[in-house]
Amino acid sequence: MHKAPSASSLGPGGLDLSQAFFKPIQNTAPPSPTKRHTKIAVVGVGNVGMAIAQTILTQDLADELALIDAKPDKLRGEMLDLQHAAAFLPRTKISASVDYALAAGSDLCIVTAGARQIPGESRLNLLQRNVALFRAIVPALARHAPESILLIVSNPVDVLTYVAWKLSGFPSNRVVGSGTNLDSSRFRFLIADHLDVNAQDVQAYIVGEHGDSSVALWSSISVGGVPVLSFLEKQQIAYEKKTLEEIHKEVVDCAYEVISLKGYTSWAIGYSVANLARALLRDQRSIHPVSVLARGFFGIEGGDVFLSLPAQLGRGGVLGVTNVHLTEEEAARLRDSARTILEVQGQLDLGI
Amino acid sequence: MHKTYSSSSLGPGGLDLSQAFFRPIHNTAPPSPTNRHTKISVIGAGNVGMAIAQTVLTQDLVDEIALVDAKPEKLRGEMLDLQHAAAFLPRTTILASSSDYAVTSGSDLVVVTAGARQIPGESRLNLLQRNVALFRSIIPQLAKHSPNAILMIVSNPVDILTYVAWKISGFPANRVIGSGTNLDSSRFRFLLADHLEVNAQDVQAYVVGEHGDGSVALWSSISVGGVPILSFLERQQIPYEEEMLESIRRTVVEGAYEVISLKGYTSWAIGYSVASLARTLLRDQRRIHPVTVLAKGFYGIDGGDVFLSLPAQLGRGGVVGVTNVHLTDEELRRLRASAETLLELQSQLGL
Repeated sequence: MHKAPSASSLGPGGLDLSQAFFKPIQNTAPPSPTKRHTKIAVVGVGNVGMAIAQTILTQDLADELALIDAKPDKLRGEMLDLQHAAAFLPRTKISASVDYALAAGSDLCIVTAGARQIPGESRLNLLQRNVALFRAIVPALARHAPESILLIVSNPVDVLTYVAWKLSGFPSNRVVGSGTNLDSSRFRFLIADHLDVNAQDVQAYIVGEHGDSSVALWSSISVGGVPVLSFLEKQQIAYEKKTLEEIHKEVVDCAYEVISLKGYTSWAIGYSVANLARALLRDQRSIHPVSVLARGFFGIEGGDVFLSLPAQLGRGGVLGVTNVHLTEEEAARLRDSARTILEVQGQLDLGI
Repeated sequence: MHKTYSSSSLGPGGLDLSQAFFRPIHNTAPPSPTNRHTKISVIGAGNVGMAIAQTVLTQDLVDEIALVDAKPEKLRGEMLDLQHAAAFLPRTTILASSSDYAVTSGSDLVVVTAGARQIPGESRLNLLQRNVALFRSIIPQLAKHSPNAILMIVSNPVDILTYVAWKISGFPANRVIGSGTNLDSSRFRFLLADHLEVNAQDVQAYVVGEHGDGSVALWSSISVGGVPILSFLERQQIPYEEEMLESIRRTVVEGAYEVISLKGYTSWAIGYSVASLARTLLRDQRRIHPVTVLAKGFYGIDGGDVFLSLPAQLGRGGVVGVTNVHLTDEELRRLRASAETLLELQSQLGL
């Protein structure tokens, strides 16, 4: 069992109580092979990675948390800052290393590493920088944790999930991007706040590209089971398409707004990814709009492209894609989204 | 009911569905007066304040969180970043204002983290002068808007600033508490637990006194699974030296400085520590925590009104009592020395 570096003796020149304090039970059989020990690796200990790691810890989702990054001091500082809370949390093993071997045995590998979006920079502009980084990260993760599910958060998430899929050689059901899970939460928050209702009673998906060309599925939004658009029609409340588009734009701008105000986003994406981690590791079979291999769905045929669709997630990763009904307009926009992403992918020299 | 700024209509120039969507029930009686709506305000939206706010939110400890900070844009960004997680959390109202303390009114617990961050190498006591001035502008407003709240001070140097907050607020001493050595004790328990490969919650160990270089590790009352450690060592004939114990305590004190030198500040651990105190207070858990309380009259501390950490029982009324832990002569001596150091500094403040 791993111990923190200082713990073999207690303090410098110190006390070693470990042999004497507990009488061991002799001849115990090895642990039952059905023992479930969950391990999550988080790559990148910046604001996003740490918000994810800390939320996972607070929500008691894993037995072991491994932090990986290129900066050893920052990494050790973050590890200690979590370990020091031991008295306030269920016991979770927390380790950190610049060496990807630390990811061995992970059930889930969450990749947040990458340059942060500069205020005003579109997600696609980050791309070239992050592809190079993924060439160093993903093959190492795949080698050390060949059975894991890869969850990509770094932006632009759709293209980078595709890149991670190619670089890892994993089956596509085990490579997922955080996608529009958070955009959808922001969308649900706006609607819920307006109606003074709990956001969990608002079913609303934003799908497609996590970014400017995302698609709000207005036709399938419902509140407490009441479909919103047909409700408006029955109540004879007039609305214009333009209004709906402005609301959608407000959702897309949410991230940029937070970035311009506090410099980055962290908490919301932390909760979003912890929510996905729970669905995957606890086999919740719940539906989340996340970035999956979309070819073959909704008439998307131009090539291998990852984008967000309402996908059912469980211990095996992506179990299926919900057969949600799209209007012709929504389907067309989704295919446009796919084309936008494919175009950018086409310009990449992936060298794969 | 409060709405965020943009939600009176949905989107710019937008849709107003709020009247039509739900059929209201008319003539409902006002909510039962026993309706328990818990509110916490966090002053300071820096790394510490936000780690506390976010942990309180994740652990579903309150119905309403108000954030206050001097920097309006940073504050608004932090508020939005929490609100955007609405789909993943129980519904909690999240408010913020950088100019109007009325946003804190009706708080059950007010957590003050505002203040300059310790620079690597700077001792906590050096921060003092800067933070006293800040408290003179913050505390009276908090007291005015939430006269029945419990005040929890986190800003460093926490013991003196808890004293300052007590003086300025006019609150009774049982309602003014500092986060004190709650976290030092967790670090101490982590070190012991990690060495013994036992759950830290089975390690009873208090660090008391000043939160800082002059803290006091109560070795004589440390136990693991109910087994007192020092008498265990003696019975097992495992030798130990005072110096060894002292160097372990120093490792605990240095824990904070080490994290600061590695990542620039501490946040997560203090977040969990204060959320744990918030839970004990708001849910009337009557648990014992080593926190900064008015220590005059305990353990022979009589030199004046001084706040420092003692093992205190906490509940909805704030500080419910102080545990009558047995201290060795040496531990008593160190605790009183801790008190004297603090009193000396306090006297230089002119409060």
